[in-house]
Amino acid sequence: MAALLEVRDVARSFRGLHVLREVSFEVPEGGIVGLIGPNGAGKSTLFNIVSGFLSADRGRVIYAGTDISDRSVPQRSYAGLVRTFQTPQVFPHLTVIENLMAGCYKHTTTGVVANLFGSRASRAEVRRMRAEADAACDKFGLTTIRDRPAGKLPGGQQRLVELARAVVGKPRLLCLDEPSSGLNTGEVAGLMAALERLAAEGITILLVSHDMDLVKVASVIHVLCFGEIIARGPLGEIRHDPRVREAYLGA
Amino acid sequence: MLVFTALYSIAGLGVAFLLGQCGIVSLAQSVFFGIGAYSSAYCTTHWGWIAPTGFVVGIVASAVIAFAVGWPILRLSGYFLALATLALAMIGQVLFLEWDWLTGGTLGIGGIPKLSLFGFELRTPQRFYYFVWPVAALVLWLYANLLGARNGFAMRAMRDAPAAAAVLGVDTHVLKVKMFVASAMLGSLGGSLFAHYVSFVSVDSFTVDRAIHFLLIAVLGGAKTIVGTVLGSAFVTVMPHWLTGFGDFHPLLFAACLIAAVMFLPDGFGGALQRALRRQGQA
Repeated sequence: MAALLEVRDVARSFRGLHVLREVSFEVPEGGIVGLIGPNGAGKSTLFNIVSGFLSADRGRVIYAGTDISDRSVPQRSYAGLVRTFQTPQVFPHLTVIENLMAGCYKHTTTGVVANLFGSRASRAEVRRMRAEADAACDKFGLTTIRDRPAGKLPGGQQRLVELARAVVGKPRLLCLDEPSSGLNTGEVAGLMAALERLAAEGITILLVSHDMDLVKVASVIHVLCFGEIIARGPLGEIRHDPRVREAYLGA
Repeated sequence: MLVFTALYSIAGLGVAFLLGQCGIVSLAQSVFFGIGAYSSAYCTTHWGWIAPTGFVVGIVASAVIAFAVGWPILRLSGYFLALATLALAMIGQVLFLEWDWLTGGTLGIGGIPKLSLFGFELRTPQRFYYFVWPVAALVLWLYANLLGARNGFAMRAMRDAPAAAAVLGVDTHVLKVKMFVASAMLGSLGGSLFAHYVSFVSVDSFTVDRAIHFLLIAVLGGAKTIVGTVLGSAFVTVMPHWLTGFGDFHPLLFAACLIAAVMFLPDGFGGALQRALRRQGQA
């Protein structure tokens, strides 16, 4: 099976510091893939390169058979590659439902002029956005807080809003950056259930985390350490890998 | 006074929506206000064209200039962008002064004909009043439509969290340029109306002071609300005039009022009004 995402020999350094050295890995279509590593391993850099916020010094990012290395963030988003952020990036002054409506942007097309004059298409589109956002509120259990400004919510709920907003856009590959940080144990369990449900719906998930509990949901895990992938395989396997143990527990 | 309130509301709204909905601080509105005013003045007095041509020339020229300048400078953000727009306002002021073949320099252009509508000349302030307020209302209506539609959501998303908006597929740079152009067109419309109302334009009306004046309208009114802009514009237009009654130190009084307004009404008049209405609704 062809990989949905293929990272090929990606290298990146900042002022002479090699953060990533020739990293390669694949994410097959369907299912959940984990990318773990201790702090400073280069996870965020790799993630930014995949999502288009950074460019690689060398190497390519292939998505759905196309080289997307030079594509912008919105272009990648239109292709179905969507990410979330380590600190949740909700739109704080917008209510929960408005956040989700903004998430429908890609599936709407009216231009500024049509919007200004409130054309029929423009109004129909807003109704559709609202309906989709409403459905997502139900699905993610956000209905009771739908009219609250997202910025006033506790961290765990902001994460959920961000996830729901990403899902409303119907992604093909959903990249989650440390989705469990700031969540309590109960919320992590809820998140894991939600991720498995999304994967069952056909969304491929790339999960970046240093939380060993959360990555249980991943079928394959890549371990990144000092800019190199040092191990890959199911959790049970990598757990006993001596290099992984060393990286996590120290020599 | 109320006519000026409407005139400034139209141009001020352009600044307010850039500030409140897109997170762009623009000090360049005086330039587009000036372009509109001089276009109307030149087209009607120099070429003797009918008034609507001046409006169109001004709006098209403003749009082209806003696009050409906005494309590079809107890659900047925050203070850097604000400074770039300030520089634009200063350049505008100098050009309005130096290009006297077009603008009349310090002498300005006088004798701009009054507007007439279906053969009905708007020569008294009252008549102009009944014309300019519907125009302002129309502009507000367009603005309200935009806010509630797809691109309105994208604008607010971009203002709150630009990176997240990009992930949703919003090309933030293109959207900013579009909005800057729209804002410039509004500024030009306000300027053309101004020229026909006062019949005389000179560089004094399009200085950096004027640019700050428009930004004040946006900040005082509360950039996030639509009504706020009108209130803000009423404040900066009516208040200094009213305060002249208190003697020579009226600019000082106005400054004090400004500080008080900014301190006690952080969301501007519009925000305060919105809160009051909400309280009323709950009671």
